[in-house]
Amino acid sequence: MENLKIGVFLSDCGKVLTKILDFDNIISFLKEIPDVTVVERGTEFWKGSGLQTIVKTIKEQKANRIIVAESLPKLSEIKIVEAAEAAGLNQNFVQVIDLKNHCAWPHRNVPKEATEKAKAMLLASVERAKILEPIHKLEFPALKSVLVIGGGISGIQAAEDLADLGFEVHLIEKAPFLGGIAARAGRFFPTDDCAACIQSPTSDVKTITHTSRKCIYRSGIAAISGLKIHTNSQVIKVEGQPGNYRITLEKKPRYVNETKCISCNLCSEVCPIEVPDEYNANLMNRKAIYAIVPNIYPPTYVIDEQSCKFHECEKCVQVCPTKAVELDQKPEISTINVGAIIVATGFKEYDPSVIKEYHYGEYHDVITNLELARMLDAFGPTGGRIIRPSDGKPARRIVFVQCVGSRDKRWNDYCSSICCMISLKHAIMIKTVFPEIDVSICYIDIRTTGREHEEYYEKARELGVKFIKGRPTEISHDPESNVLIVDVEDSLLRRFLELETDLVILATAMVPSEDTQTLAEILKIDIDKDGFFKEYNAKLRPTETKMRGIFLCGGATFPKDAPSSSLQAHSAALKAVKFLNTGKIVKDQRTAVVNEEYCGDCEFCPVSCPYNAIELVKIDEKHVVAKVSDLLCEGCGICIGTCPLNAIDLRHFKQSELLSQTKAILSINGQDKPLILAFCCSECGGASVDSAGMTMSNYPTNVRIVKVPCTGYLRIEHFLTAIKNGAQGVMVVGCMSDGCHHEEGIKMVEKRIDAAKTLLKEYGIEPERVELFNTIFVEGDKFAEAACAMTGRLEKLGPLRFSKEV
Amino acid sequence: MTETKEFNVPFSKEVASRYGGETVMLCYQCGTCASSCPVAKTTEKFNPREIFRLVLLGERQEVFQSNAIWLCSSCYNCQERCPQMVELVDVFFALRNIAAKEGHLPKIYSEFAFALMNDGRIVPVSKFIERKREQIGLPPLKTIGTEALRKILAVTGFDKLLLKKEVES
Amino acid sequence: MTSYSLFLGCTIPARLPNYEVSARKALSRLDIDLVDLEGMTCCAPPPVQSLDLETSLAIAAYNICLSEEADLDMITLCSGCFESLTVANETLKQNEPLKAKVNGILAEAGKEFKGSIEVKHYLQVLSEEVGKEKIKANIARKMGNLRVASFSGCHLLRPSKILKFDDTEHPHAYDELIEALGAKSIWYRNKQKCCGGLLRGYADDIALAIAREKIINASKAGADCIVTICPFCYLTLDLGQVLMKSTYQEEHNLPILHYSELLSLALGVDVKELALEFHKIKIDSILNKIG
Repeated sequence: MENLKIGVFLSDCGKVLTKILDFDNIISFLKEIPDVTVVERGTEFWKGSGLQTIVKTIKEQKANRIIVAESLPKLSEIKIVEAAEAAGLNQNFVQVIDLKNHCAWPHRNVPKEATEKAKAMLLASVERAKILEPIHKLEFPALKSVLVIGGGISGIQAAEDLADLGFEVHLIEKAPFLGGIAARAGRFFPTDDCAACIQSPTSDVKTITHTSRKCIYRSGIAAISGLKIHTNSQVIKVEGQPGNYRITLEKKPRYVNETKCISCNLCSEVCPIEVPDEYNANLMNRKAIYAIVPNIYPPTYVIDEQSCKFHECEKCVQVCPTKAVELDQKPEISTINVGAIIVATGFKEYDPSVIKEYHYGEYHDVITNLELARMLDAFGPTGGRIIRPSDGKPARRIVFVQCVGSRDKRWNDYCSSICCMISLKHAIMIKTVFPEIDVSICYIDIRTTGREHEEYYEKARELGVKFIKGRPTEISHDPESNVLIVDVEDSLLRRFLELETDLVILATAMVPSEDTQTLAEILKIDIDKDGFFKEYNAKLRPTETKMRGIFLCGGATFPKDAPSSSLQAHSAALKAVKFLNTGKIVKDQRTAVVNEEYCGDCEFCPVSCPYNAIELVKIDEKHVVAKVSDLLCEGCGICIGTCPLNAIDLRHFKQSELLSQTKAILSINGQDKPLILAFCCSECGGASVDSAGMTMSNYPTNVRIVKVPCTGYLRIEHFLTAIKNGAQGVMVVGCMSDGCHHEEGIKMVEKRIDAAKTLLKEYGIEPERVELFNTIFVEGDKFAEAACAMTGRLEKLGPLRFSKEV
Repeated sequence: MTETKEFNVPFSKEVASRYGGETVMLCYQCGTCASSCPVAKTTEKFNPREIFRLVLLGERQEVFQSNAIWLCSSCYNCQERCPQMVELVDVFFALRNIAAKEGHLPKIYSEFAFALMNDGRIVPVSKFIERKREQIGLPPLKTIGTEALRKILAVTGFDKLLLKKEVES
Repeated sequence: MTSYSLFLGCTIPARLPNYEVSARKALSRLDIDLVDLEGMTCCAPPPVQSLDLETSLAIAAYNICLSEEADLDMITLCSGCFESLTVANETLKQNEPLKAKVNGILAEAGKEFKGSIEVKHYLQVLSEEVGKEKIKANIARKMGNLRVASFSGCHLLRPSKILKFDDTEHPHAYDELIEALGAKSIWYRNKQKCCGGLLRGYADDIALAIAREKIINASKAGADCIVTICPFCYLTLDLGQVLMKSTYQEEHNLPILHYSELLSLALGVDVKELALEFHKIKIDSILNKIG
């Protein structure tokens, strides 16, 4: 091994820090440390001549470890590491510490003590530098091919975006036709246009005609090169890793050949079997061979397996002019390779029959908004007429009931967000065509939060729709007159109404599509408490999942309207492009590594890993060991904290590095308060320590900081080592309990701290010497307060005494 | 006339902290309870939604002065259908418990309490009925556990409820 | 033969010997053995719960303890008792801290709640244990074309989360038991709505107004009688009609029967044994109809 040559660079921030820190003292201290070959002092080292000094030191003086005390923690670190790498030094051999915010500012009233602490901090870095190992860059393949699951409005749009950009796209739809729930809706708000309209490639920005939209059947979607549409198909298996997935698809037989069918409808005419048409709310019948509406894609009929008599009948086979009917089709299994997956599986209407007081499914004239939408559709079962399904008579009175199964703790406690607008849209459509129909809407709150949405509310009022603020308790049915009675309190007038009506429309909750749970398991992504797919971060990563390479859009994450679904589709497509565009994924090997000799086949690390990056692999007949995926591992170190055998470590932050820092930072004291070691995470916990400095919040110099990637990294041994090496107390400073950047890290360390307290008690040590603090960036002053309070508590406890040998 | 007042929010917390009152804060005033309520539809004196609103706004005095809290017939219709799973009947019991503790007790309820303490039952059995029972072959009534009951009422402080001065008529 | 400890409560022994006698006779004919235990008290129904919920739990638990000591499940004839006792029984079974608190109180009376028995309404026993078939097999008297407005009241079904009997929005068990006797259970408006009975004594006018609506709805639907399973519903509707005469100057004369009376009649119990003279609204029309 080459000799260590450590270069240390001290920024005095334009001499501002010299008022507090005695730089001469620090420099002479450093110069006496063996292996420290260069010590430089300057105004700033992250740019300009300062940065050049570092480069020169690496190149000319052959420094092979670099420690920089700079004051812009993250920005300076990025610039310095970049330059060092360019000069030929491995990224992991560069350490940037923050003497300003972690030492000078918070201790500005005690310059002598601060100087001693600065020396301790630098010594800790030097000790760590001695045992650092290089971190290499890894490359993984990224196929420029994407699977889009779900052929509704968002899936179609994401697929088109990607195909237009030259990606190979597989669009999978479970149903026989594209369109999803949106196509059934008939009309959209706020555009009032028909639901068959989607964006199309011939109307995209880059072409001459920038017509905004086209019907699905004339959109030319099938002609986009690189876009392969699989209807009647489902994903049944996903293997491989981000950038390179192998997907197994199952295509159910359609029994009609897509390349031969010409949609002439002759088959449907001769088909002798009629069944209720579920697409049209069972308000009409369809044949066993059918197409849902004329304007569909693919323009190919389909046979309903449940009702067709197949070879007993064969009437359709005989009549088909192109010999497209193939009654012997079998399910087909195929595999495709893709680099990324976009989940666009949408939502569905909740089945309100569980809300027994509304008698849906029992009273035929109680229907849902989606069923009403079919009635309002000119292609629908009634050709746009509004009838009572029970007897086919025109409906003269209609009552909408809002929040059916949503905002209801018995069923779904969230607001489905679009039902108010759907009801308003429908009420307006009804009143516009049939002004004589009496329309009432019973509501708890009307929520019209989107652009142009309030106009719908206004227009509905103008058209004479009655709004009744009250949630009905019950819908009853008078069998003699065949009218429904809606029992509601007009809470504004404090009056009880029994509204007699012909039709009740339930604005039902929107819930996750079927198979969401199954798909989540196949994809290894999370679902939320309401059963929708869970995004990685609602604020900043709304279309990503915690699995790199798997993206979400549209109603799969929550009920949303068409504009929001479109936006998310484009966002998810862009994220997929970002992920795959260069054809490779480059990633530093800042990951966990398993010591196979010690690893025994328990399941702690695979279960605790928030990124599913660890799996158990059989290495011989007897041994199963944990194996870390370098691609999936995010380097948080939670596996270290949970491993019962201490058989796992982080390449970029080894436990030996933590221990050498702990020892060194406690080895120089220079003050008379009890020493405290504060283990801070690199996210909110560390940020709060930074901000304590930035806001010049005072705390004493006995508080010494060691940063870890996540507090979940910490083991009980780490606390004990701190205590053995002179700490009178240990603070663990991490994110808020529900705000851990690695999901459960903070909660895990919380349990470990409890265990440590119990253990300390056994040794006769006061358990309050180890404490957890949950903070966020803006609470720097709270960190300072906590540090002062902890110091005060330890002073009261007096010096640490062991009643047993640790 | 418009009134300016400070709402006494801790009242809702007081109710929520009592056994039976825990769910009061969940109410979002949808009115399902009112339209479920046989009493509210019969008299203007009682509307469960309004009483909850008064509680949530902290109108302690108004809640107890009106006597409306005693008009719930405990049919549980509202509780079955409340979308926020507010346990309304139990909240009414909690409100009545507070009132009882403070001595705002309707006469009939103090009669129940007296009967319970004296006889161990809230409806007395007359001599006439006792004779009648014998005539039609019903078995003689077993003795009532009045002694045990009195002990229970003494531990919980129930017996003190009736010492409050202003038992209302 | 299944044995239950009978929880009689307050109202039935004090006011409704006709209910008690019919229930005892009918249940005995259907092989349900009723054991009368010493020392029972009031069940602590809503009027007591209104005074103090925790005391009420303790009182209910005390009575359950007596049945636990006899190692018998408990049967009630009164829906009010059924609800108070079941709510206490189920709540204490599930809520350990509350159970500990209540047991602290019960210790004074030398009892400990264990949670070892069930509380059942006799209708529940008829529906779930005896069964329609057994009842049908024992029918000795035809019901003619008796049109019954069945009224199950509130506390047999609600709070459903705890009582867990039948389906509160689509109750059918009770109607099936009426139809098992050969009578016709008819639909009438607001069938499931409360009778207002618990307001009697505090707000008689309101209670009466609610009861009146019930009587009118049942009459309109062509009912020969209303059949109840709760002493409060019975009193509210039967005695209530007497009060309606003075308050509303209305004569309804709609007979009100207990289900146990109808059951006893169907099972062939001698009319003379049933103390039917206790009915305020005479039920001769019913007796004539069923012969």
